[in-house]
Formats: sequence, C-alpha cells, structure tokens
Amino acid sequence: MPKCKKFEAQAIDYAYGELDTALVSKFEHHLTTCNSCTRKVKDFERVLHLVDEAEGEFLPHPIAPHNLEMRLYRRLAEVPAEKPTLLTRLSEYVSKSLFILQEQKVASLCLFIAAVISIAFFVGNPMQNGPDDYVANGLDSADARIEQYQRQDIQRSMEDVLRNKHLRNSDSWDTVSQLNRVSDRAQGTDLANIAKKHLKNVNSDF
Amino acid sequence: MDKMIDDEILVTQFKAGSQKAFDTLMKRYERRIFGYLLRSVRNYEDAEELTLEVFFKAYRALPSWQPKAKFSTWLYTIASNLSIDYHRSKARKPEFIFEDEEIIETRLVATDISSNPEKQLEEKERGRIIREAVDELSSKQKSVFMLTRYEGLQIKEVAETLGMAEGTVKIHLHRAMKKLQTILQPLWDNNEI
Repeated sequence: MPKCKKFEAQAIDYAYGELDTALVSKFEHHLTTCNSCTRKVKDFERVLHLVDEAEGEFLPHPIAPHNLEMRLYRRLAEVPAEKPTLLTRLSEYVSKSLFILQEQKVASLCLFIAAVISIAFFVGNPMQNGPDDYVANGLDSADARIEQYQRQDIQRSMEDVLRNKHLRNSDSWDTVSQLNRVSDRAQGTDLANIAKKHLKNVNSDF
Repeated sequence: MDKMIDDEILVTQFKAGSQKAFDTLMKRYERRIFGYLLRSVRNYEDAEELTLEVFFKAYRALPSWQPKAKFSTWLYTIASNLSIDYHRSKARKPEFIFEDEEIIETRLVATDISSNPEKQLEEKERGRIIREAVDELSSKQKSVFMLTRYEGLQIKEVAETLGMAEGTVKIHLHRAMKKLQTILQPLWDNNEI
C-alpha cells in the first residue's frame, strides 16, 4: 500500500479530535479514497483507546492528596518568606508599570509620569516596603494562620518532651536542651512560661 | 456556592486578605494537580510532595502575581516545571531496582485475583506496558499529551502553560502520537491485543 505522507499530520489531528473544523470534511473526503490514511487514523485511534484504558486503570477517579491544607500551612510556618531583593522589587515595579501602560496607553502614561514625580517628591523611595505592607497586601489573616500552626508546633514539641523524656532520668540533659529550644521558640507567649517552669523542675531534680 | 465564584475573584479576595479564598482555590484544584503529577511521576508519595510544592509556591507568589493567563494555567505551569525538575534529578540519580522486586510485585498482583486470574494478570501487564510506553515520551511530549488528553486543556492553553508556541505544541503532540504508535504497534501486530 503506497504511503500517503501529505496527510499524516491531519490523520493524527483527526484521531485526536484536534483537526480544524474547516478541514474535517475535506479530510473525510480524502479518507474515502486513501487506504493509507484510513489505516493511520485507525492506528492512532487504537493507540488513544489503549492509552486511555491504561491511564484509567492507573487512576480510575481523581483523588486528593492526604491532608494537603494542614501540610501546606505547616510548611509555610517552617519556611520563612524570602524578602524581595532590590532587583526583584525593581523588576516587579517595572512590570506593573508596563502592564498598566499596555492596558490604558496614553492616559496611563500621563498618570504614570505624574505618579512617579509625586512619589519621588513626597514619599521618597517608591520601592521600599513599609511596615504596614503586609496588612495592605491582605496577608494579615494568613499570618494569623501561620502563627496558629507555629503555636501548635511548639505545643507538640512541649508535649513530646514532657511525655517522652521528662520522666526518664537518663534523658535529663536532652530534656533540658529541648525545653530550652521550646522556650526560645515560644518567646513572648504563655508557652515560654510553661517551658521555663518545667525547666526549673528538671534542674531541681538534678 | 464556591463553584460560582470565578478563580480571578478568589485571587483578588486572597490578595485582599481572605485566607478562605486560597483554601477554596486549593480545594478546587488539588485533585487535578495531584492527578497530573501522579501520572507524570508515577509515584504516590512524590506526587503528594510535588503537589504540596505547587501550592506552596503559588501561595508565596500569588500576592505579586500578574494575571497574564488563567489561574489554572498558571498552576499547571508550576506543576509542569516541578515535574521536569523531578525527572531531571531522577535522571541524575538512577534508581537500582532488583529484578526480584518485579517478580514479587507480579506475585502480589496474582494473589488478589479472583475470577479469571490469567486474563486479569494479562490485562494488568498490558496496562503496565502501555504506561511504560507513555513514560518513554520526552518530558515535553508527555506534558503536552497529558495536558491535552487528561486535563482537558486546549492547545492554546497548553502553549501558555509550557511557554511555547502553539505550533510547537502541535509538533510535540504529533511526535508523541507517532512514538506511541511505533512502540505499541507490535502489540496488535503480534495479536497480543
């Protein structure tokens, strides 16, 4: 059977359901006269059927990862947010300006120039992050959530040290160092006082 | 109710301080992103870790994100990049699998079959061979194939996700299909299917 190379790409698109609607009827007409393309379409359809079946067997239903939300916030609590470098802030500033310029062209250009002049004169460095930026960016509640997870983490460490180590004499040194760590991490909270109280007890046991 | 709210509105709400908006976005996409990554890396634990990484990156980057494409497209972009990095690092650290493990796996499969063990074993084996053929595709070919076939993305959206021209996406798709056909053709030529 002579191979028909001209329509190979269209055979793939047709089997895949990606062929441009304007080309479909022309290609279907070609199929009535070309055995090579008809076979190719059948082969590609067979490939797709087999792969769909195998992938369906691999993942029959969409599943959610285990406890993603809690793990995410714990991770966010563990890894401090990187402070943006001057270069990042500068590029962000430029891209933001370019975005506005593209959208509203002339009006934005005038507004942009006016804004830059006023910022330069009245505010100072426009790229400097102010102390209230996180609140302005609306991340206050996220911070609260992270704080909550941090607190839970400290509490867990404390429970761990009290439950597993405190009662075993051989681990006294380990207990003290872990309580010290908890106390450091909980600085400024009531958990720090609890940790200090237990530290006192452990030290008096020595 | 949540389904009624557009992603873009939720993104704006998150930027304005609503933590719940991010939770809603995460709930909306966790299954899709996880499914995509699971098919890509074929390992449950690794796919879970990568999904976590996708949402971690999204959370951190969202406050300064400028929407040039849909939010979902952006999430798939992060997922694709992480998947490519994953395969690169795997390629650097080859895993040594003992042949015995495979035999044990086959035995395990064989023990949980009830009605027609031979046929079911054959079908499982066939599924494994076909998935291996998919895994033989280059990372770009596989991404294009998976995104269009199982994530329901249009060619244009795949182009945005992977940062390539629509024509290039089509080329990858054509190559993927031809490669799959070349690998799988012997199965039906030898009447194994």
